[in-house]
Amino acid sequence: MGVGDPAGMASAHNTASGMGGMRTAGDLVARMQMSRGMKIKEAKEYVANKLKVSVSDLADPVVMNEMRDDLDIGMVSTSLFPGSAKGIEAKLRIAELLDIEINCVNKFRDKIGRALRA
Amino acid sequence: MDKEEILKEARKAIIDADKAKAEELAKRAIAEGVDPLEMINKGFRAGITEVGDLFGRGELFLPELILSAEAMKGAADILTAALPKGTKKRRGKIVIGTAQGDIHDIGKSMVVSFLQANGLEVYDLGRDIETQKFIDKAQEVNADIIGMSALLTTTMSGQKALIQELKKAGLREKYKVMVGGAPATQRWADRIGADAYGIDAADAAKKAMELLGEG
Amino acid sequence: MGKTYTRMGDGSVIELSESELKRDLEEGTRDAAERGRIPPLCEDELSYLFDIYSIPYRFVSVDRGNEVVLTYDAATLKIRRVGVLTHRIQSLQIYEKLLGADTLEFDHVDYSFKPVKPIIAYEQTELEQALLVTTIPMFYGAMPNLGSYTQPDGPCLNPMELLPMGKITEARAAQEEMVEHAVKDMVNVASAMYESGADGINFDTTGAAGDTDFLATLRAVEILRKKYPQMCIEVGMAGEFILGMHGELTYDGVRVAGLYPHKQVELVEKAGATIYGPAINTNTDESCPWNIARAATFTKACVENSHIPVHADMGMGVGGIPVVDQPPVDAVSRASKAMVEIARLDGL
Repeated sequence: MGVGDPAGMASAHNTASGMGGMRTAGDLVARMQMSRGMKIKEAKEYVANKLKVSVSDLADPVVMNEMRDDLDIGMVSTSLFPGSAKGIEAKLRIAELLDIEINCVNKFRDKIGRALRA
Repeated sequence: MDKEEILKEARKAIIDADKAKAEELAKRAIAEGVDPLEMINKGFRAGITEVGDLFGRGELFLPELILSAEAMKGAADILTAALPKGTKKRRGKIVIGTAQGDIHDIGKSMVVSFLQANGLEVYDLGRDIETQKFIDKAQEVNADIIGMSALLTTTMSGQKALIQELKKAGLREKYKVMVGGAPATQRWADRIGADAYGIDAADAAKKAMELLGEG
Repeated sequence: MGKTYTRMGDGSVIELSESELKRDLEEGTRDAAERGRIPPLCEDELSYLFDIYSIPYRFVSVDRGNEVVLTYDAATLKIRRVGVLTHRIQSLQIYEKLLGADTLEFDHVDYSFKPVKPIIAYEQTELEQALLVTTIPMFYGAMPNLGSYTQPDGPCLNPMELLPMGKITEARAAQEEMVEHAVKDMVNVASAMYESGADGINFDTTGAAGDTDFLATLRAVEILRKKYPQMCIEVGMAGEFILGMHGELTYDGVRVAGLYPHKQVELVEKAGATIYGPAINTNTDESCPWNIARAATFTKACVENSHIPVHADMGMGVGGIPVVDQPPVDAVSRASKAMVEIARLDGL
């Protein structure tokens, strides 16, 4: 989507048709489109299967927030959950959960590996 | 060849971008007593309007449009020269360019081609042009219209500034102002007090002709 | 039914009677079908659109289960655009945490590949920092912007000055030279950002400078795909058909000028892109229902012909969104629902 006025466009599209990003499993579905070229139906089914939830739960913020907490894959309200995974740590877990390669995670792993070997 | 047939052939010559044929038809029309103005408007200009429509649908491309415009100009020059003394109208003059800070000149250049095809004398300032330069050029060449194009929401304020500067200089009534470009709309044109807005290149040429009383 | 409150493509409020609304929907789909030589929307689809527009609610949404991936082009620019002075990383966090983004896009304020070239190290290091603190997928995005390669801003003769003089051969030669420069810059910048960890590269507003722009992007995509088999590559468009500024350029034997989205996507796929983003222009002289029927017709044909995910561009002035700086939610939410459910999009 091309974005302009954040309230008029970003917020409106998010509420009208968006999956919900980190509030739900939107980022996970997006990762399947980006890493495997899956269309929306296949991407949703893949993620739902990995998370063992129904496809319609993927856009439900209540179900998915609890799921993200359980799996420790990054949440919106990080301040309420001290010690929860953030940023690169959350992505490391997402790569394992979805069985995909994440570019920056691989680079991070390489660097950590080199540092530990040094 | 009767008049209707000549007009039809004239239209086709422009669509085919056949300059030699267009000029030959212009000469034949004069020889056969067809009104030169009717020949321009109902024959050649009808052709260029159709070319514009095809271009607007992606069925014809800019180089072909340029060739059609050249064919139109060649024919129109012959016909204009044949107009009886006293009926020859001065060609309309337009100064055009993109707003300051805007390097996007494709749309503006398409408009230039359409304006030239319609017989206007076009002074193309190019892109990223200071507002004052539009006014200076218009004064220098005694233009009828000033046209400013802007592709960006960040540069379209230049169109408003042009009108304000014309007012400040006491020149607003001297020139018609046209605006266009992706973020511009009729609503925007009305709001800043422009005289016309072109939704695309063909529409811009049509509006320019209307402003000159030739639409 | 009383009159339906809707808008023109420039955002102005209008009211349409039942018959006027039906007529606009029918004419919008017919216009797309004629131009693209594609099927118009069927009766059921037009009836669905009629319901979306005649419902009096200020805001509408897709049915539960029909949600799609929501991406944001040029996200780091838009918070500053409204005068909120955030750092780029903070802007990304706002989209990630507050605006429901499913993907992010890191970009430079000029938003073109060419000016990024000399400052690439700055871009890389900030992107690397952004990747450490964000969770959702991150694109690096910019426009091919082939116009920036012409004089006085670039090295090539300006075809837009040569063409009106009738110098067609010279203009075409200049355009072909522009393609070479642009491909080199796009590949270099995209490679650097991918090497820094970006999940993908977004070629945004492709085709803005016509067929040269589109061809250069396809060539860059092809090179990047060979170089980085895992890279996500998105090609987003500038308009509904490829303007023929050169007119004779081909890719894989197909003339690119004049292609509409359902044909554009075939070449985008062949080049090796992962996601395609069609952009259907909004006509400000027509109503929102007319524009949506038209945009949905083009986009549906494109989705049906595509083997890769399709994320329609639905920003200001495209995808049925009015050409206005602050699009009203009644228009945006209707466009969003209609495009997702009629065109069967994979994302926005």
